[in-house]
Amino acid sequence: MKRLVCILIPIAFVLLLSACAARLAPSYDKAIADGLVVTSQQLLTHFAATSSGTSAASFAQRDATYSNLIGSLDALSLQAKSRPSPKVSVNDKVNKYLAERGINLSDTGDIPSAAALEQISITLTKMRDVDKKQGVTAFEVAAFKGQVVIYLDQALTYENFLEREAL
Amino acid sequence: MGVPIDISSLVDQMRAAASEVAKKDISVLKGFSERQIKAIAQQAQLVAMGIASGQITEETQEFFLDSLKTMAQSFANTLQGLAKVTIEKVWNAMVGVLWGAIGTATGIDIPAIA
Repeated sequence: MKRLVCILIPIAFVLLLSACAARLAPSYDKAIADGLVVTSQQLLTHFAATSSGTSAASFAQRDATYSNLIGSLDALSLQAKSRPSPKVSVNDKVNKYLAERGINLSDTGDIPSAAALEQISITLTKMRDVDKKQGVTAFEVAAFKGQVVIYLDQALTYENFLEREAL
Repeated sequence: MGVPIDISSLVDQMRAAASEVAKKDISVLKGFSERQIKAIAQQAQLVAMGIASGQITEETQEFFLDSLKTMAQSFANTLQGLAKVTIEKVWNAMVGVLWGAIGTATGIDIPAIA
């Protein structure tokens, strides 16, 4: 981590000298952060309700829950993606600086939280499809939950990190 | 007429402002990384156990295995995104000090950066 400090501060100096724009990441959006908290609670409630496993015969009871959750996730992902993006040229400068020091990043330009939310949606869609077809074992529910929690941590950490202190 | 800029003092102030932000943020990045690495390792163990015992059915095996790779990529992508926010904050902290010094030296009230 000390090495990271040694990398981050010089990058900031490079940007400072080039008098670039001050934004490298999207703005914080409280509605997205709050939506994430609510959706997280709903997701974990769903996993608690299915933790013993499910059978295809009772899928109809859960169908609406799946639809609501997937819809909420897709809407949040869209909101996260639709914020104005910082100038590409600034990000290019950072990537160039890192590349010159042997750190090559595969910068896709994706908003990390939006990408994580898409993966949660894919995970839940898979769970729904298997649930409908044959039911889901308790072990599979645990695996789906583990996967979703990892992506939720990514999305929540990133969105909360965007809340910069007032300058 | 304002006060002349003391270069040595200005450099120290900029360095202090940058270090303060970086140290605080890096503790968040470190905590996030540790949580994620541990959780992804546990997920890999869970998937392996489930496949070995047959409790993860053929219907989901490939999905869970592919997802491990996607999860790791998404973790790296998130870490990169967090680092960019930190760079931005370090940049702004230094510009704030610089603008303040120029404002004092020139007597001009420089508006806060965007």
